[in-house]
Amino acid sequence: MRPTLTSPKRRILELTDLEAGYELLQVLWGVSIHVDEGEFVAILGPNGAGKTTTLRAIAGFIEPISGSIAFGGREIGGAPAHLVSRMGLGYVSETLNLFPAMSVYENLLIGAYAVRDRAAIATTTDLVFELFPRLQERRSQLAGTLSGGERKMLAIGRGLMATPSLLLVDEPSLGLAPMATLATFEALKALRERGVTILLVEQNVNTTLHLVDRAYVLEQGQVVLEGTGQELLANSHVQEAYLGI
Amino acid sequence: MTTATNLRQVPFLRRFMSFTWLTLGVAALVMVWSAFAQPSILVNTLVTGGMWAIMAAGLALIFGIMNVPNFAHGELFLIGSFTAFTVFSPIQDALRDDPSLTWLKVIGPFPGMLAALLVGALVGVLLENLLFRPLRRRSREQWVMNTFLLTAGVSVVLINGYRLTLGNNFRGISHYWDVRPIELLGVPISVDRAAVLVIALGTIALFSAFLLRTRTGRAMRAVAQDETGAQMAGIDLNRIFTLTMAVGCGLAALAGASLLFLFPSFPDVGLQPLYTAWFVVILAGLGNVQGAIAGAFIVALLQNLTITYTAVGWVDVVPTGVIILILLFKPSGFFGSGVKGVWEQ
Repeated sequence: MRPTLTSPKRRILELTDLEAGYELLQVLWGVSIHVDEGEFVAILGPNGAGKTTTLRAIAGFIEPISGSIAFGGREIGGAPAHLVSRMGLGYVSETLNLFPAMSVYENLLIGAYAVRDRAAIATTTDLVFELFPRLQERRSQLAGTLSGGERKMLAIGRGLMATPSLLLVDEPSLGLAPMATLATFEALKALRERGVTILLVEQNVNTTLHLVDRAYVLEQGQVVLEGTGQELLANSHVQEAYLGI
Repeated sequence: MTTATNLRQVPFLRRFMSFTWLTLGVAALVMVWSAFAQPSILVNTLVTGGMWAIMAAGLALIFGIMNVPNFAHGELFLIGSFTAFTVFSPIQDALRDDPSLTWLKVIGPFPGMLAALLVGALVGVLLENLLFRPLRRRSREQWVMNTFLLTAGVSVVLINGYRLTLGNNFRGISHYWDVRPIELLGVPISVDRAAVLVIALGTIALFSAFLLRTRTGRAMRAVAQDETGAQMAGIDLNRIFTLTMAVGCGLAALAGASLLFLFPSFPDVGLQPLYTAWFVVILAGLGNVQGAIAGAFIVALLQNLTITYTAVGWVDVVPTGVIILILLFKPSGFFGSGVKGVWEQ
C-alpha cells in the first residue's frame, strides 16, 4: 500500500513515532506522518482516533511524550505555540478561536501579528479578501456576529495572514450546513492551487479523498493506512468502515 | 407601558431604550444640570472621576487579560504615593530654601509622579514574574479564586511591611503647586486638582489610543478574548501578561502619586481607592476597560452628589446602595453582557 514517493520536493513536516496525550491519557501511539512542499494531505479517522491531538502536538499546544516533530528540518516538539506559529506554521483549530469582539479586519490583522512589513500585510489581506469575498463585505462587522460558515472562512483567512509554509486545518466541515461545507472545501482547493501546503483533518471521508493528494487513516492513535486519495477510495477497509459501500 | 412599547418599535430609539442607556442618560443629564445649578459637583466629579477611571481601568485591564482580580491594587496606590512623597520632599525643601526657583516650582511635582509610574510598573512586572507565572505553570484550575487569595495576601504583606519598616506616620504634602486657585465654571479649584484632571484625561486618552490603535494594544485585546487564538497568531502570552501588569500597576501608582495632596502615604491608604475601583469595575462589568472609564465618572458623580446633599460620612454608603440597585436589574454590570472575558467562554 505504501506509495512510492521519490518526489524531489522538500519535506516540510515529518512526524516520527510521535507519542502524545493529556496528563493520564495517552492518545497517540507512535504516529509517523510526513508532508512535502506543495502537497495537500489529509488525516482521516473516527472520533477519538487522535486526529486533533496530532495537530495540537504539531502546533505546540501539547508537549509530546516521545518521538519527534520536524518542521522545515528543525525539531519543534515541545516548543511553545507562539514560536511554532512564528516559524511559519499556521493552525486553524476545530473551535476556530476567533476574537469575537473584534472586527473581521482586526482579526486578520492579529493573524499578521508576527509580520512587521505593512505592505506585505496589505497584500495578504487582499489575497484573503479575494479568496473569501464574503469577508470583505463584512470587513468591519464583529467576528462574534458572523455565521458559522463565515467564521470558518475568517479562521482560515487569519491562518493565512502570516503566510505560513504549512497550514493545519482541523475539521472545517464541523457544524456546517452542506452548502457552507462545500464552500469551505472549494476554498481549500483554491488555496492548494495557489501552492499552499495543507494538512487537513476530516471526518467527511468521501469528499476529502477526492480532494487531497495523499491521506493517512488514523485509528486508536496509530496510522493504519496511508496512500493517495484514489488508492484509499479503492481500499476495502476504507470502503467498509468509512464509505459504507 | 403602551407608549414604551410603541417607542421601542422606532429603530433609532430602540437602541437607547435599554436600561444601560437610560441610566447613562440620567447620569449625563445630572451632570449637565449640575453644570448650571451646582458647578462644584461637576468639577469635583471630573477630578475624582478621572482618578478613579485610572485606578479602575488598570483593575479592569488586569482582570480582562489575566483573569486576576487584583486585590493588591490599592497597595500600588500606596507605593505610588510613597514614591512621589520620597521624590518630591527634597524638591519641596529646596523650594522652601530658595523660593525664587520658578522653573522648579512648575515642574517640581512631575519627577515624583514619573518615578511612581515607573516603580509601580516595576512592582507589577515583579508580581507577574515571581507570583502569577509560577502559579500559572503549576495549574490553572480555580485560577480566579487562587489569584484572589494570592493578591489579597500580597496586599496584607505590603500593608504590614510598610507599617513595619516605615511606621504608621502620615507622609503627605498640603499641595504640589503653591499658587492661587484658578476658576473653572466659576468654581475656584486648586491647581493641584486641575492638574489631576489634566493628567487623568491625558492618561485615559493615551491609554485608550494604545489599546485601540497600536499593534501591541491589539494583541492585548486579543489575549483577553482568546488566549489560544492569540498564541496561534504568534503572540507570546508571558510578554503580554508582563506588560499588562506593568501598565495596570503603573496606572494605580500614578493615581496614588497625583492624589498625594489628598491622600497622604500611610499603610491603609490604598483601601478606599481599592474599594472604589472595585465598585466601578463591578458596576461596569468585569474586565471591560472602556466601561470602567465611564463607570468611574458615574461613581464619582454619585459620591459628589452624596457629599453635597448629605454628609461626607455617607460617601461610600449611597453609591454602594445605588450600585446594588443597578445590579439587581443588570447583574453583569452595564457593559458586561456585550464583551466577555476569557474565563466566561
